[in-house]
Amino acid sequence: MTENPEQENQTTPQSEEEIRIGVYTCYCGGNISDVVSCERVAKQMRDMPNVVISRTDMAMCSDGGQALIENDIKEKGVNRVVVGACAPSLHEKTFRGTVTRAGLNPYLYYHVGLREQDSWVHHSDHYAATEKAVRLMSTGLAKARLLQDLDSILLNAEKHALVIGGGIAGLRSALDIARRGLRVTLIEKSPFLGGRTAQLESVFPVNTAARDTLHPIIEAVMAHPNIDIFTQAEMISAAGYVGDYQVQIQQQSRGVSDDMAEATMEACKQEVPDEFNYGLTTRKVIYHAYPGCYPASPAVDWENYDGEPLVVKGQPTVLYNELKTFDLTVGAIVVATGFNPYEPRQGEYGYGEIPEVVTLPQLIRHLALFGDGKKLEWNGHPVRDVALVHCVGSREIDGIHEPHEDGQVNDYCSRVCCTANLHMAAELREHYPEVNVFNLYEDIRTYGRGHETYYHESLEKMVRFLRFHGDDRPEVVAAPKGDTHPVLVKVRDHLTWGEELEVPVDLVVLAVGFMPRDVGDLVEKLKISRGTDRFLAEVHPKLRPVETAVPGVILAGTAQGPMNIQETVAAASAAAAKVAALLASGEVELEPFVAKIDLEKCDGTGACVEVCEYEDAIALETFTVDGRQVQRAVVTPANCSGCGNCVSACPNRAVDVQGWTLAQYEAMVDAITLDIPELMEVEA
Amino acid sequence: MSDAKQRAALLKRLREENAETVKRTQALLKEQKKVQQLICQNIREKSKTVPEIAAAVDMPTHEVLWYLTAFKKYDIVVEDGMCGDYILYKRAEEK
Amino acid sequence: MENIQVDALVVGGGIAGMQAALDLADQGCQVALVEKEPSIGGKMIALSKVFPTLDCCSCITTPKMSAVAHHENIQLYTYCEVQSLAQNGTGYISKVLQKPRYVIEDACTGCRQCEYECPITVPNAFDSNLGGIRAIRVPFSTAVPQIAVLDMETCLFCGICEKACPADAIDYSQTAEEFEIEAAAVLLSTGFEITPPDAKKEYGAGELHNVIDGLIMERLLAPTGPYGRILRPGDGKEPESIAYVQCAGSRDETLGVEYCSRVCCMYAIKQAMLISGSLPLADITIYYMDIRAFGKGYEQFFQNAKAMGVEFIKAKVASIKQDENQNPVLRVELMEEGSRVEERTHDMVVLSVGLLPAYNPQAVYGVPVEDDGFVDIPAPNASPCNTNRPGIFVTGTAAGPMDIVDSIVMAGAAAAEAVAYIHEQEPAGSVPVPAYAD
Repeated sequence: MTENPEQENQTTPQSEEEIRIGVYTCYCGGNISDVVSCERVAKQMRDMPNVVISRTDMAMCSDGGQALIENDIKEKGVNRVVVGACAPSLHEKTFRGTVTRAGLNPYLYYHVGLREQDSWVHHSDHYAATEKAVRLMSTGLAKARLLQDLDSILLNAEKHALVIGGGIAGLRSALDIARRGLRVTLIEKSPFLGGRTAQLESVFPVNTAARDTLHPIIEAVMAHPNIDIFTQAEMISAAGYVGDYQVQIQQQSRGVSDDMAEATMEACKQEVPDEFNYGLTTRKVIYHAYPGCYPASPAVDWENYDGEPLVVKGQPTVLYNELKTFDLTVGAIVVATGFNPYEPRQGEYGYGEIPEVVTLPQLIRHLALFGDGKKLEWNGHPVRDVALVHCVGSREIDGIHEPHEDGQVNDYCSRVCCTANLHMAAELREHYPEVNVFNLYEDIRTYGRGHETYYHESLEKMVRFLRFHGDDRPEVVAAPKGDTHPVLVKVRDHLTWGEELEVPVDLVVLAVGFMPRDVGDLVEKLKISRGTDRFLAEVHPKLRPVETAVPGVILAGTAQGPMNIQETVAAASAAAAKVAALLASGEVELEPFVAKIDLEKCDGTGACVEVCEYEDAIALETFTVDGRQVQRAVVTPANCSGCGNCVSACPNRAVDVQGWTLAQYEAMVDAITLDIPELMEVEA
Repeated sequence: MSDAKQRAALLKRLREENAETVKRTQALLKEQKKVQQLICQNIREKSKTVPEIAAAVDMPTHEVLWYLTAFKKYDIVVEDGMCGDYILYKRAEEK
Repeated sequence: MENIQVDALVVGGGIAGMQAALDLADQGCQVALVEKEPSIGGKMIALSKVFPTLDCCSCITTPKMSAVAHHENIQLYTYCEVQSLAQNGTGYISKVLQKPRYVIEDACTGCRQCEYECPITVPNAFDSNLGGIRAIRVPFSTAVPQIAVLDMETCLFCGICEKACPADAIDYSQTAEEFEIEAAAVLLSTGFEITPPDAKKEYGAGELHNVIDGLIMERLLAPTGPYGRILRPGDGKEPESIAYVQCAGSRDETLGVEYCSRVCCMYAIKQAMLISGSLPLADITIYYMDIRAFGKGYEQFFQNAKAMGVEFIKAKVASIKQDENQNPVLRVELMEEGSRVEERTHDMVVLSVGLLPAYNPQAVYGVPVEDDGFVDIPAPNASPCNTNRPGIFVTGTAAGPMDIVDSIVMAGAAAAEAVAYIHEQEPAGSVPVPAYAD
């Protein structure tokens, strides 16, 4: 995709047109105007060179605000536009659209951040904030004077998406993208599809088995002609950009062929804790996740297989993991890597030390495996009294609760555990009416449609509620030998004037929260980011709720934060909609902020090529100038990130990043350091 | 019929057809004009708070505030600082 | 009768409907968005700032309103109502009524000359009736479209607006017009209403002027609000002590509303934060049952509010009366003090009212509702946007209380479902993206 060198030469300023700038200072509904005197800023701008009009508005981004700009372009001949408002990440595109509608090139617009960079950080000093606003706006003006028409880069988009994760979010995303007519490759790290949903039993709000919801989706995904599924597969590298990501997938062998599967499984004697049952049981290293799982054929757990030969039908057989690697070009990547249930620390509420302390996911598996609906037992002993403890690993308070390995506490609410816990409480009372259930909580958050029913049901079924405070959580200790019960739960109950209670129980169930999965390698490879809660971060919860800051990398489901199944499925579909919007037209538009060579100045030193960190972004090519063969640098815009390394390396100042030229920077630096007059009557 | 005459005729017809609405709205207009005059006269010379105006014009405070809010929206009154916990209102300069 | 053919009909132009329309249009679908009010924007456009980011609401809503109005794939029909819907193959054909504005849409420039001249003032619904607006007006400053509308119920037919209009846009003879929209799929985003003020007799049944609802407080906090500041509506006093009563209309069997309205905890916390910003000396107390700060970043937001000094008291508020100075007096059962009952006086009380269904689509759309009055979703976990009728989808608060973030995500999901449905019905149909085939 080499550009025509003839075009490369067109770096001369556009004609001698008069620069006529419209400057707009936004109140941002008070966000800016409560601190910065916007009127003062606007007045100050009015006297600046080239400024034709300087206005304010309560919300420049509103239709009315945008209409002001449009009118000024059409009627006052404004040909450069500067808006001082929120961060460019929010509304730069909005205003580019505005100026385009009025007939201007979208890049004759410059966005100054007066909110994040000024009013929000200097809210205690109105005068200084206003002065800073004037300076920031002045730099905007300085840049605007040098803005030129630019054309965004149009590229073909691969109508193919990679979905990472075969839980319900990944499955649902894949299905919706495929139903839309796009191709999908779905990869799943484990040998089986279904993720965490497969480990659940009766789920709220429908009270049907989770797998009854899950399996039809898996079947639809497996049957869909547009979807390829790879289990035991991981993305090991990624390069490129939206519309054209080159990814490398590595897949492990399943290990046994279908015809030998049963015999090999039988021959295998090596057992490991079964993660499907959260370690309550063991399984062989050749295994099915659960009866009826997808795909149906067993797989070898390579991480744990000891490499010893198995005697299959009398033959010693060694299993080999032949790694298969393949390349794929996709237009977008959906990250649906899910979550882990919080694993309490050794000793946290007695977990790992007192055998009668389990997590809620473990109890769900225990009941699925051993619950006969008649008698509840734990470790062979009848269970008479159960304590369910909320908020384990959630709503932790910095400075009060012990930080986790990474030094942070889980200060978020895990959203799902309250309803799940009350669902369990009601079920226990329903199926095992002789069991007393104590529910220890801070706040009951049965917020969703149909969730409050579980609270009501629990109350009706005489579940006993005890309320603790977040900074004074219950304590779980082993009861002295000879006590009636093996465990004591100590709690200060705030439903009864803070009474200190000791509840003897046979089983303590910890309603553990959501933990972000360790997807550090993926974060690095895709250059996406995590929020302060360590879950993957969206750009903006309301403006771009399923998009990451990297174009074409979309989030689906609990990789982004705690969600229940319904919310996960909705988020996954929303992710699919975003992928379809990106790729459906077969073209993506990239911003034109890429390196540009002035061939007049370039003498082919190659310094730019040396410092470039991007593949195929800049290269030396041979040109014929005056009958001589010379080397000149040529940029492939699609591969250029606009980082500017080449600009600093070039000894001849022959490279510039379009839209961010050295001349523009210099003008901006000059403007920000200029003396500005005393700002009278600053009043926000 | 001229354009203006046509319009006048239409309005006349509509007034007849919607006699009930017109009657009700006329009563409302009369009331609103009276209140506007009362309140505006009261704060022409000196700005006052809602309770002060309410006492002076013998109206409930919440109704006075409602009118002042509407008057402010259409530049009939303006705020004039505060007195304790209350805003002072003043008749806007008449154009 | 005019007949418009589109891929998708979106009913309701609040945040969910706008987002669904944009997500459909961005995928290449032709969309008709029908809104019953004169402007799109729904409930969200009336709000102040939104949790947990504290973005000004306009900053999120108005660009979306503008994008809807300008999107080449979206046709916007405001002040219109869907009258009936009939099956049309796998799609639907609907009869839509364009209500008369008595203003010629193409001629009106939104200059508001008519509004300034009109002699009649009526309660301003956009400001929860706290102030007045003229009988002919542009509904609110950021309305889309910026076209005046005349309230014929309070019109003198005096002709003043007609004379004032520089664009000759007033047309008293306008009548309602019917037209048809043919669509391959229908999305219902008909939103919610709040608990009516007279719902709870114990809380004064809406008669106490200084007991307001959360939406009124939104207007008081909004920069475009009726007073331009926080004053109590009873007498214009700047309040020094403000109390929130949570679950006022939700989780309340006496009202037949057993569900949690999901947003009230967070909007109360957010408003408390905003009030402490503009009235730093004010005391703010939140009487609550459970604080449900469950969304991403919400718990942290709640903890911040506590750290800022907002007082949270687990309590049941039995009744609210008023003293001789118009101060609300609350009879409060303090749950953490052995249910001791106490009378507490505040300058102003905000009822954190709940979300109720706004519209029952059974009659027109043949789509049933559940016991809670919101649209029935037969398989919420598998298909959270699918109603009982194929090709009719639901999104936003029409499907039950939810906050803005969840509404926006669900709108994307509904758009995905609708496009997939259209695509599957007509593989060679109107969706301009062919099935994958190279």
